[in-house]
Amino acid sequence: MMASTTMESAFLKIPSFGFVNPNIATSKLVSRSSVSLRFGFHFRSCAISSASAAEPASASSPSSVVNDSEKLGPGSLGHITRPDFPILHQAVNGSKLVYLDNAATSQKPTAVLEAIQNYYESYNSNVHRGIHYLSARATDEYELARQKVANFINASESREIVFTRNATEAINLVAYSWGLTNLRPEDEIVLTIAEHHSNIVPWQLVAQKTGANLKFLELTEDEVPDVGKLKEMLSKKTKLVAVHHVSNMLASVLPVDEIASWAHDVGAKVLVDACQSVPHMVVDVKKLGLDFLVASSHKMCGPTGIGLLYGKSDLLNAMPPFLGGGEMIADVFLDHSTYAEPPSRFEAGTPAIAEAIGLGATIDYLSGIGMERIHDYEVELANYLYNSLRSVPNIRIYGPDPSRVFKRAALCSFNVEDVHPTDVATFLDQRHGVAVRSGHHCAQPLHRYLGINASARASLHFYNTKEDVDDFIRALTDTISFFTSFK
Amino acid sequence: MQSLTQNLSFLSPLFSQVSESPEPKKIQLKSSFFKNPIFFTSHKSVHSPDKPISTEVFPKNPIFFTSLKCYHNPDKPISRNSSVSCITAHETPLQPLTMPEKVHCLACEFKSLPEPIDRVKRLLHYATLLPPFDESGRVEENRVKGCTTMVWLEVEMDSNRLMRYKVDSDSEITKGFCSCLIWLFDGAMPEEVLSVKTDDLAEMNVGMPSKGHSRVNTWHNILISIQKKTKNFVEVKDKDRSLTEFPPLVGSTDGFSVYGNYKEAQYMQESRQAGNEVEGPT
Repeated sequence: MMASTTMESAFLKIPSFGFVNPNIATSKLVSRSSVSLRFGFHFRSCAISSASAAEPASASSPSSVVNDSEKLGPGSLGHITRPDFPILHQAVNGSKLVYLDNAATSQKPTAVLEAIQNYYESYNSNVHRGIHYLSARATDEYELARQKVANFINASESREIVFTRNATEAINLVAYSWGLTNLRPEDEIVLTIAEHHSNIVPWQLVAQKTGANLKFLELTEDEVPDVGKLKEMLSKKTKLVAVHHVSNMLASVLPVDEIASWAHDVGAKVLVDACQSVPHMVVDVKKLGLDFLVASSHKMCGPTGIGLLYGKSDLLNAMPPFLGGGEMIADVFLDHSTYAEPPSRFEAGTPAIAEAIGLGATIDYLSGIGMERIHDYEVELANYLYNSLRSVPNIRIYGPDPSRVFKRAALCSFNVEDVHPTDVATFLDQRHGVAVRSGHHCAQPLHRYLGINASARASLHFYNTKEDVDDFIRALTDTISFFTSFK
Repeated sequence: MQSLTQNLSFLSPLFSQVSESPEPKKIQLKSSFFKNPIFFTSHKSVHSPDKPISTEVFPKNPIFFTSLKCYHNPDKPISRNSSVSCITAHETPLQPLTMPEKVHCLACEFKSLPEPIDRVKRLLHYATLLPPFDESGRVEENRVKGCTTMVWLEVEMDSNRLMRYKVDSDSEITKGFCSCLIWLFDGAMPEEVLSVKTDDLAEMNVGMPSKGHSRVNTWHNILISIQKKTKNFVEVKDKDRSLTEFPPLVGSTDGFSVYGNYKEAQYMQESRQAGNEVEGPT
């Protein structure tokens, strides 16, 4: 089911302009199905390479002329957007909440919360089937959300966007649908050891069924995947390269455009796990030349329970169904069924309608700020976090040192000498209200490679501020002092 | 059953005061404890981030609340409404606490701590009292699966059919959890160990109001491991399926009825066929 022509035209016609608090305008718009706006959104190519990952492609970006202290000062993006996130304004265990677990899940702005509530209050109905008013409206909004996602990552058309439950399900969809159809014994799937479990385990399962082999790219001394060796690993046997865009532990950024080019040279497809990149920077699937891309709504200020799979039309058209049931069929007989065209072919059953609409509202909100602006701010905040953390004694930070060659995302995984990361995280929470993550971050092979069992991780988003980082560092210093004196 | 001193000797030097009589009739306690309990209270008002927390927070000879609760006067039922309800050990005769009573006392202790950080500090202190764990025991088969920290658990059954546990972790807070669990279970009957549920221990969950069975819920993971290994010991050593405490799980060709859940039945079947101790299903 496609969005109506009228709606698409309206969607494309509205000019973009700068916007300070997109929450105000956006909340007024989400209830009107006939109008949808994009604010300040640039479909600019993002030539992702290790050298340029964090640099805006446009030299005319206004943020480039503002010095660091001003970027993180009182008028920063974090200060401006914080009021939009009600959950951030609370105390935890007697201390102000400092939420630094954004790589696990992000917080949701009021606009998204209102969009979901409005759906349930005003037009909740099942999509794609009913002919009554509520169903038609729900269908329009659902498909409009799909169009918004397509525009957000510059897909050619909305039919290249499949809504899933999350990125994990999206990868499983590719593994079981594309993988079981196209993989043969001795074929190779190339991954890195820094992949999230969701980009390892499905391939293990499918490899077991098909006889394919998995090959893992290791790290350099700078603790980034050794892209130089990746090219050597590729051969005619390689059928798929499945890699992360931004590592959820190392904070490193892969040059997925180059990787895609090398993969295509040997006839392989490329799947990119963009869970840690789509929320934080411009991602253009056409410019990057990707075959598949997955992301999760909940990591980009959207609701949980919905994710996306981008797949090139010709690939999706050739893929068999993943899950069977209603919605994904054309005709059902007792002895066989015929299937719908993508994306419906891969969306069995009643979808997460409210969540999809919430994701659409999320994209409106993020577009209102501008992904370039978000990225620029987070680069500054990332550097501030890294430098501040590095100044704390007895800290080991994982991933590359930021430099002209290596840019880091706004997260730091670290360990404190002689103090277990879980103890660190517990004390930070119980004593200081600071929320960080501890454990293996769904990257056990990476931890094993680094010779550790677990690590702590502080991860930022555009609504975090310099003060959040300062509070975290103070709390961490106190935590280390406590455990040192305790022992 | 062991004497109180043997049971708790690892916990505190205080126990040198406790009689080792096989039938302890009287334990003289400092009544001032009840008036001025030494609790680990929140030190937010006195602790400056610029200077480390004073070691005075942890007294050299702390009186462990739990350690005094192992005995109670059977004529005075434990009130569940008082934060000090578990302490009545000043009259004779005294009897060991049952497992539910011990669990309740432990829960009371942690509930009585006013701030979440106090529970952390209490656990850290109990961590220091855990008996040393032999390095040779830090092997994969002893590892408790599902925890975000590393936890190693050794389980044995002594000649009196009492369960003996040794546990260790690379996290100090987790070691504190372990210390409390050891206090509960070491020297207990298998049936007592299996009777405890995760929800019974929810009050001890530092910073975890959720009772969910997530991998950070250390109580749940370690408790389940203790119980699985305990059940394994009972099955292998006793080989007596008619024990009423353990419901029959698998029918055999000699005419027993099959009932119980499928996974447990699978595990028991494999255990008998292998003739070895088999790790239970996770």
